[in-house]
Amino acid sequence: MRKVWLVIKREYITRVKTKGFVFGTVAVPVFSIGVILFSIFMATRQTDHTLKIAIVDDVGGLAPSIVQNLASKKLANGKPEFAVEKTLEQPQPAAGIRDDLRAQVNSGGLDGYLVIPKDAATAEFHTKNAGDFMLYEPLSSAINNALIAGRLSDRGIHVDNIAAVVKGVDLKVVKVTKEGEAEDKGQTFMVGFVLAFLLYMTLIMYGVLTMRSVLEEKTTRIVEVLISALRPFQLLLGKIVGVAAVGFTQYLIWMTSAALLATYGSAMASAVRPGSSFPQIHVPGALLAYTAVYFVLGYFLYASLFAAVGAAASNEQDAQQLQWPVTLPLVFSFIMFQGVLRDPNSTMSVVLSEIPFFSPILMILRLAAETPPWWQIALSIVLLALTMLGVVYFSARIYRVGVLMYGKRPSVVELFRWLRYS
Amino acid sequence: MDAIAIEGITKRYSSLTAVDQLSLRVRQGAIFGLLGPNGAGKTTTLRMIMNILIPDEGSIRVLDQPVSDRTQDLIGYLPEERGLYPRMQVRKLVVFFGALKGLSEAEADRRAREWLTRFELADWMEKKLIDLSKGMQQKVQFICAVIHRPPLVILDEPFAGLDPVNAITVKDIMLELRGQGSTIILSTHRMEQVEMMCDSICLINKGRNVLDGDLRAIKQSYGKNTLRIEFSGDDGFLRDSGIENVNRFGAVVEAKLRPGADPQEILKAAVQAGARISRFELLEPPLNDIFIEKVGHA
Repeated sequence: MRKVWLVIKREYITRVKTKGFVFGTVAVPVFSIGVILFSIFMATRQTDHTLKIAIVDDVGGLAPSIVQNLASKKLANGKPEFAVEKTLEQPQPAAGIRDDLRAQVNSGGLDGYLVIPKDAATAEFHTKNAGDFMLYEPLSSAINNALIAGRLSDRGIHVDNIAAVVKGVDLKVVKVTKEGEAEDKGQTFMVGFVLAFLLYMTLIMYGVLTMRSVLEEKTTRIVEVLISALRPFQLLLGKIVGVAAVGFTQYLIWMTSAALLATYGSAMASAVRPGSSFPQIHVPGALLAYTAVYFVLGYFLYASLFAAVGAAASNEQDAQQLQWPVTLPLVFSFIMFQGVLRDPNSTMSVVLSEIPFFSPILMILRLAAETPPWWQIALSIVLLALTMLGVVYFSARIYRVGVLMYGKRPSVVELFRWLRYS
Repeated sequence: MDAIAIEGITKRYSSLTAVDQLSLRVRQGAIFGLLGPNGAGKTTTLRMIMNILIPDEGSIRVLDQPVSDRTQDLIGYLPEERGLYPRMQVRKLVVFFGALKGLSEAEADRRAREWLTRFELADWMEKKLIDLSKGMQQKVQFICAVIHRPPLVILDEPFAGLDPVNAITVKDIMLELRGQGSTIILSTHRMEQVEMMCDSICLINKGRNVLDGDLRAIKQSYGKNTLRIEFSGDDGFLRDSGIENVNRFGAVVEAKLRPGADPQEILKAAVQAGARISRFELLEPPLNDIFIEKVGHA
């Protein structure tokens, strides 16, 4: 066991020190958080001061109502969002007035001016900062409310609080589970997709890493010295566990940064710009636990296969050719993502999520969508675990023979013959 | 006690029998030469001694214990095909191999520093392997094989790629290890090294033991049947009926005598033919000739 531990330690330390790992693990989340915060900052930078605007009302009679509606819009710091400096009803000459307003916007006297044309079909807001989409909603709702109130009053209906009248409903989708009901804003799809995709990525990534590590020891001939010190199976075990530890480190750092983002995301967002918030995503703990179980079982299954590929090959080209039958079930799982997400309880979804080579990824998709019957989960875990043990056993035999065989890429028949060598 | 006792081992691959009913004993404290042409089964035999491969038949004992995980730690191995982790630090790499062979990491680190200094690699300890020259990497690999001062050292072509100065360091360490009671298996194609260093040898051909025993005794059994001659002038006398074959090395000629031939007669003929003799020596056959005789026309 001490020797296995030495191999694990060496494997782990060498891998964690590589630039690729440091970049992939630390730089990527830091960079993405930076990008998110920066875009929040950019999108909200206008909103801490009151915008001075003018209203040109070619319809007539709308302006006071718009002013009244805008008055209710407040900034996060309590100041009014808009200050209407002046209102102009059906101004003459129209062109001259507009030139004057444009000059005021350019000189900074006004932040913008609103034009409601005679037919009131399209209103225009003229401003220097046309990219600030945070302005659109309050302005358009103020104009619409004023227009609707005007039209109602034309038909003899007088309304005090038009906003209360035109308020519609929001449609919430509620996910029904055994434990109860919970609101779902497309999270099921997102969480399931992200977790399954993460599994797909990491199974391939760490599988290939294990393969390369085995191949490196074979091509540099270190393996002969190593197996004169410990058993091939111990060496294989050490490598697989070492690479898995690297994977867990990466997961841990990613999940910690995701948790930090969930906890402090809103705080960070308001530090960047008061009043802005951060989308909250809730991932159930049970789902994370299942992800860990399927990752470990799936990883041992695939990593030992990839290790056997690395041992059977004598160079990178051979490894790439031998690798595709191992990669195929993973890619197939990825292709089936959409089908399983759309109908997680169809016969196809259930069958696929029980087949060991697909279950690590596809069962997670089903678990995220809705909890399958317990026996289906148990059966898939048992099948996966048994297959994994069998595959590890046979991979270890191929590994043991392969690491000492140099030359031509072995055929499938030869690989089966290797299994019988003592 | 024998360092190695091999009883009738056989190892077959699908169509090939790599080792065939091989028996062999290596006395403890000897420098033992394992010889044989390419593909004779030397590497397979060594791998079975190290428990990398398991014989199909027969048994192997190392230092009076059956081969097992435990005997692995008693052996230091320098394979012919060299290789180390290219991106690892030299000192950490040596410590890793020392620890794999049973040393504590602190002890491995102490010895790594000591050995690296002895091989004039002190300034390279914290460098990566790829930054070292090929000769330096050879030295590092040699250190990895002997850092745990194993009672049995297996060295496959230990001098390959070393300059004369480093070759002497390696040779001194081999003698030092033997002085401390270690047994050394030297596998090489360089017969002059075997003649200078080995106490006993085993010659393997096609997986079988074709010749083994004490090197001096083997040579004596052939008798003094070889002439080493340095001369200038006519070489016609070398076609004498008493000479079986001639091996020319440029300045020196080695001639093998037929049984019963008289060296005096050959010397007389040479002088009569007008050759100027500067050296005329009657010797036991060189190991090279014994090797060729045993495997050359088999």
